Amino acid sequence: MKLPAVHFTQRQHEFRFEVRQFLKEKCAEGKFHTKCDSWLSGSNPDFSKLVGEKGWIGLTWPKKYGGAERSSLDRYILTEEFLAAGAPVAAHWIADRQTGPLLLRFGTEEQRQFFLPKIAAGTCYFAIGLSEPNSGSDLASVTTKAEKVEGGWIVNGAKTWTSNAHDAHYMITLVRTDPFDGVKKHNGLSQLIIDLHAEGVTISPINYMTGQPHFNDVYFENVFVPDEMVVGELGNGWKQGLAELAFERSGPERILSTLPLLVELIEELKKQNNVIALEEAAKLVAQLWSLRNLSIGVARVLEEGGEVAIPAALVKSIGTKFEQSIPEITRLLVDTYPRLEAKQKLDRLMAESLLHSPGFTIRGGTSEILYGIVAKGVVAG
Amino acid sequence: MSEMKEMILEVVEKMFKKTVDKETVDLAENGHWAESVWQILKDNEILNVAVSESAGGAGGDIDDLLSLYQLVGKYAVPIPFTETTLSNYILESYQLAISNDSITYCLPQTSLVMNDDQTISGTLINVPWARHVKEILAFAHSSEGVFPVRLSLKEATIHPNTNLAGESRDTVTFNQSKSLQVQSTPLSDDQLQDLNTIDTAAKNALMCGAIEKAFLLSVQFAKEREQFGRPIHRFQLVQQHLALLAGEQAIASSSLENMIAALLEGREQNEVAYTRIRLDEASRIVSTSAHQVHAAIGVTHEHSLHQYTRRLWSWREEGLTANHWKKVVANTLLTTPFDDLWSYLTDSEKIFTTN
Repeated sequence: MKLPAVHFTQRQHEFRFEVRQFLKEKCAEGKFHTKCDSWLSGSNPDFSKLVGEKGWIGLTWPKKYGGAERSSLDRYILTEEFLAAGAPVAAHWIADRQTGPLLLRFGTEEQRQFFLPKIAAGTCYFAIGLSEPNSGSDLASVTTKAEKVEGGWIVNGAKTWTSNAHDAHYMITLVRTDPFDGVKKHNGLSQLIIDLHAEGVTISPINYMTGQPHFNDVYFENVFVPDEMVVGELGNGWKQGLAELAFERSGPERILSTLPLLVELIEELKKQNNVIALEEAAKLVAQLWSLRNLSIGVARVLEEGGEVAIPAALVKSIGTKFEQSIPEITRLLVDTYPRLEAKQKLDRLMAESLLHSPGFTIRGGTSEILYGIVAKGVVAG
Repeated sequence: MSEMKEMILEVVEKMFKKTVDKETVDLAENGHWAESVWQILKDNEILNVAVSESAGGAGGDIDDLLSLYQLVGKYAVPIPFTETTLSNYILESYQLAISNDSITYCLPQTSLVMNDDQTISGTLINVPWARHVKEILAFAHSSEGVFPVRLSLKEATIHPNTNLAGESRDTVTFNQSKSLQVQSTPLSDDQLQDLNTIDTAAKNALMCGAIEKAFLLSVQFAKEREQFGRPIHRFQLVQQHLALLAGEQAIASSSLENMIAALLEGREQNEVAYTRIRLDEASRIVSTSAHQVHAAIGVTHEHSLHQYTRRLWSWREEGLTANHWKKVVANTLLTTPFDDLWSYLTDSEKIFTTN
């Protein structure tokens, strides 16, 4: 597949600069510290509100829902700058990236009017409820079930590995609204918006290996979900969820999670006047450049409504490997003692990168699953 | 971008499919001249692409040319197409006469000597196709600098040699030979840089084509070959290789696409280097995985895979290598004042298109 080359307009460059300046100021004011993996592990509701005030959540959405009606390439630039600055955008990330587009595509007018302005303001956060205790990569095997009652549904079951559910207000939850028909597991699944503060919902944290909160188990015990909270068509949940995946897999967050470390490494090597090490680092720079091209090419095709499931899977599988390689190559080029509390920025970023890097190739579809998707795609093509 | 590009590419790919098969490449690797391939390109004026019509060319631009090189790489086309077209492209940029026949070139990293009587002497090594072509664009130094010169190879003594892929890489010796034409001024720094850049860009396009072919052959083989009662693409470990190959192919082709866009906009220095460095990695991964998928049959002479992997192993060492460009990038990073790497990378995209 041929992807278009990268072109940004003058206006887009100016926008990039505007975002960069804002982030520099906020960082200088101490509103945040640059961190690796900040898009998923840096949840900060105060910061999300600041971003919302700037009008930078729901950037591409219609103005009547609180959006700015800008292009998805503008959003790409915005996202890149958040990641490059290592800004704590995790609280609103899922709602901005996934819930908004989902509701715009499949939601009811009432759902849009109720949720989108709050999301855009940076005050309403979503989690994604997909994986279950016995359903990880084999996602369609979900067993959390919703039974019809008058005016809504009663949900029973459990979701796990739910990132940031402890900060989120709602969860887009994949549930079985029709029992397994014995033929195709993908049938009978629906997406429900579940209020995480509703009666019968229990959230219990699964701490990350750093000891910090990250994932959660979310239990549903006779949770009532009103009919108005069904997203799209009943039984169409699998397809609706798949539509989100190309966006989820091809974005800059699959390339730039450890960029702050690479930036710091180059700074350090420049300081040391270390040409030999910079030659090795040049490979990382070339890799970054090539991955960005691929990812932006996919973003352009997505904007035009093209089919990019395979290249999107490629961006994620190669991009996340690149993210993982940055700390490994860094330690070959400079002396470092990774420690989360380190005063040396490089040591701290090293620690964050290392500790979070195993997750890069697991979350959002493991590399093994992606390899399967790609291979089947190229064999069929 | 030339509007004719898609059409030219389609036509030329058909020509390559028709005239270049495994046997043609085998014969060429054994020193035979692939006249039928050369003739069909000549008859259709493809040899004159990217030389302006006023200079006797067929029109078109560097984008057309590099896209054609990608096809040359994809079919292992065994004629001095790249050398002839790129020599003429360079000659025209120097405002020197283009060659009407076949011509090759040699970068000034090895240069000849211009004697006081304006004759040329010296030895060039690893000159592509020298034994088969009529002329050469080379570089000769005198006390005043390095001068581009066009020479007839009739004047030279040629010792045949080959690269790993059996492509002719000959040793060429001139002894007080008269040149056909000399640039009146010495090669400027800008000209030298452009020359290095365009030569590497061409190698990048060739490598990208060979990578694509190795990927396509692997997919095809994985579909046809059965073991344990099913096609081998059904095995997850084989799928992993196919996915790696697909990824490298996608990266290679998108890098090339972006490199060409940068060339057209005149901001190519970094892009050509990044592409060269990334393709070095891609060629390693692709040759390893493609051979692994093909297993024993892929290492036999009978199979065509090696015509592409041996070319990758050869081309990655020719001209200015990834090692050279790593040094260039390192030096640029060291000496360019910038806020940080990220702002440097994103600022260098600043060639604006209209809103």
